[in-house]
Amino acid sequence: MIKTDVIIIGGGATGCGIARDLALRGIPHCLVEKGDFAAGATGACHGLLHSGGRYAVTDPQAARECYEENIILGKIGKKCVEQTGGLFVRLPGDSKRFREVFLRGCEQVGIPAEAISSTKAFELVPNLNREIEEAIKVPDCSIDPFRLCLLNIRTSEMRGGIIFTRHKVTEIIKSHGRCIGIKAIDQTTGDSKEVHGNIIVNATGAWANMVSSLAGCEVPMTLVKGSLVITNHRLTNMVINRLRQPADGDIVVPNEAVCLAGTTSLAVEDPDKIDTASAEVDTIIGEAGKMIPHFNKTRIIRAFSGVRPLLKSGKADSHEISRGFQIINHENGLYSIVGGKLSTFRLMAEKMVDTIMVSFNLKKHCETAEIPLDGQEELSGYPLSKRLADIKNIVCECELVTRHDVERIIRETSTRNVGDIQHRTRLGMGPCQGGFCTFRALGIMNDMSVISPEQSMEILRSFLQRRYRGIRHALWGDQLREEQLVEYIYLGILAMEKSE
Amino acid sequence: MSVIEYDVVIIGAGVGGLTTGALLSERGFKVALVTTGEPTACLSTGCIDVCSRTDNPLPGIKELPPEHPYHLVDEKIIRQSLNYFQAVMLNMGIPYKGSIEKNRFVMSALGTFKTSCLVPSTMEAAPQDDKESLHIITFKELKDFYPGYIVSRRRNTKFSVFDAGVFTTMSIASRFEDKNFFERFIGWMDKLHIDQDKIGLPAVIGLESASEIVNAIATLMARPVFEIPTIPPSMPGRRLFNALKKNFRNKGGTIYWTWPVIGTEKTGNLIEAVTTFSEGRPNSINARAFILGTGSFVGGGLTAMREGIVENVFNLPVSVSGPRETWFDNNYFSLNHGIGRAGIIVDSSMRPIDSPWENIFLCGGILAETEILKNGCGHGLALATAHTAAKSCAEYLSHDL
Repeated sequence: MIKTDVIIIGGGATGCGIARDLALRGIPHCLVEKGDFAAGATGACHGLLHSGGRYAVTDPQAARECYEENIILGKIGKKCVEQTGGLFVRLPGDSKRFREVFLRGCEQVGIPAEAISSTKAFELVPNLNREIEEAIKVPDCSIDPFRLCLLNIRTSEMRGGIIFTRHKVTEIIKSHGRCIGIKAIDQTTGDSKEVHGNIIVNATGAWANMVSSLAGCEVPMTLVKGSLVITNHRLTNMVINRLRQPADGDIVVPNEAVCLAGTTSLAVEDPDKIDTASAEVDTIIGEAGKMIPHFNKTRIIRAFSGVRPLLKSGKADSHEISRGFQIINHENGLYSIVGGKLSTFRLMAEKMVDTIMVSFNLKKHCETAEIPLDGQEELSGYPLSKRLADIKNIVCECELVTRHDVERIIRETSTRNVGDIQHRTRLGMGPCQGGFCTFRALGIMNDMSVISPEQSMEILRSFLQRRYRGIRHALWGDQLREEQLVEYIYLGILAMEKSE
Repeated sequence: MSVIEYDVVIIGAGVGGLTTGALLSERGFKVALVTTGEPTACLSTGCIDVCSRTDNPLPGIKELPPEHPYHLVDEKIIRQSLNYFQAVMLNMGIPYKGSIEKNRFVMSALGTFKTSCLVPSTMEAAPQDDKESLHIITFKELKDFYPGYIVSRRRNTKFSVFDAGVFTTMSIASRFEDKNFFERFIGWMDKLHIDQDKIGLPAVIGLESASEIVNAIATLMARPVFEIPTIPPSMPGRRLFNALKKNFRNKGGTIYWTWPVIGTEKTGNLIEAVTTFSEGRPNSINARAFILGTGSFVGGGLTAMREGIVENVFNLPVSVSGPRETWFDNNYFSLNHGIGRAGIIVDSSMRPIDSPWENIFLCGGILAETEILKNGCGHGLALATAHTAAKSCAEYLSHDL
């Protein structure tokens, strides 16, 4: 059994942010995550660090929080935030009145918003629809959510935090009405672990109600599915938003070598049972295509959905529900933190840890806004020349990942999961979506003798099935062609059907 | 625009197109083949899967759903097409082993067994069960072959790594054609003192002389040696393609390499010419009949768009399971994806149905209802339908004179 002060359930941006904040304030803690980091909404979003402009009209409070956090993250996370800047573009037919409301909203919140001519906008983003009437420039940025989680966790690990990924919490242990610990099952080995602590933080996003119910508590939420598509290359170097009320498919974000576009907004019941509909994909492409016409002809490599854990609201249109967050004290040692956005994760963590400090009667104030994220010095951007120098050892041609990168992750994390390697190296993130390099990454694991044949076949099977879920709704054109080849490789050449 | 005249123009350089071309050339017709480039056969294992769903291919074919194009081909022609293929490949120095009476196993790079019918002689010695002990040889820095997959599955199996000085399948294969390299390799193998029953190597053991090289290793090492097909680029697939290409040319056929078809000329019920683009200008190739062997999606015969599926050369009507939602099943491994049935429906003369054209004949992966992966019938079906298409085409041309 492990004893600690604070148990955090959930390894999304919020949970990882709380771990970092606790570490900086010297509070012993343990984070338990059922999958890998950023497995929920954190990893299934645009990767947009909002300027706040999107909410300036509908939700000034959330807009203000976004803008303040945008400045802070730009400062503390120079290597994981890309200062792309953003444009809100007005297309023919979009309300001119909204433009005035938008500019006034930004002004009131304090977001620097500059109206520019369409000519100037085309200079900034040559791919923009030539029919746009004007654009408003805002300080939007793009951010890699997975890298963000890892950098936050780095601080926790450096200061003695205990981190368990691929551990599912199955029980919240209670004693005399108080929550005193959790039981978690290691998803790889099936072993059970018990962790005791004084406070338990439920930072499980869309799963918050399911987790709190383990302690007999309720978290009122509205679960709203949002779908996204990823292109195989960058169509814009700036974030492009539509200048109108928030609606489907109104944001395109450049991220590393690709662009993400979305989203949609549909209420769902169960966060584990979501699927992307073809109609959603068509809507997103259609809407993104209105801002960047080239989008209609660009190869889509993934289409997937995430679930926003929004606060319960009576509003019928989920676009209108507040993106604000809330800390719920269940009065038994369990706290749930729900709502919010990726952009405000640090603020959410700060408020959560402030609450914990009060309950512990401790005074140390939050430093997460001042101290740069640990581990950024290792992020060298995209050292193409270095990677190409090692061309013999490249196992993922799309993202130029080498055999050494894969071996290092296997050694450092002891992972038995291709997804973990993928998240940490970008292996399999390119156009073939792991079609070729999965065989190689697992082959390396096999050659390192860290897995049995049964495990290797099971890992391959579950990875291919999981991978397929993300690409199945993006299959037409060249992507379908590539996928047919990948299917032939695994089921035809490698005879996977014989392995059941 | 230049104009060239032929009896038959074949579109597609896969197993089906090259076979039809050779058969029609043999019958004295003037045949041209146009292709955008290398066929998907180059990506394949080189094995001829006839029908891999059952132990014996012929009963398996009988069990296929009634709409499967195999049912349009006489059993006699299926047999004849395989015999013809084996004779051609033997002549080209790439002998194939196996018989239509019984399927056999090829060891995969995962250590699993792939079922096939005719296999390159270099794979003939592959184990047919888990009993024999193996010694796997691999090559330093070859990134498409991991002996650990096989070794971890089989008892008494070892592996050794040879430094070939090069690290891609293609470059290792071409080094094996060099006598000095081969001797260095054998010298190294001698020192291993191999005592396992058989020796397995990734399929990189030479280009056109693979069969002789594998035989030589087996003789020198005094035990059976077999190749294991790799993921693309695949040397056995390339050997197959090169041999069929050479055979077609030997019979008098002409290949227009990297000439994509960009248009067609039609009159009444006849296609009169295809327009291709190369050498910086359009070229019109006139012919009395056309063979379409452009394959399915990977080959480029069909293109799936969000709105539907189209056939790329003649815009023939495509049979498809329904709208995009029906193309893929939720389970990746189900092998029941609707997309596997997409293609062109033909009659028993291999002419497309529901289309006015009298002088187009189809073969191979472009046909509808094939479900090639599920049924394990890729190159086998291509050969059978190529023979049928060539026969129909020859009959048509004789009547047309």
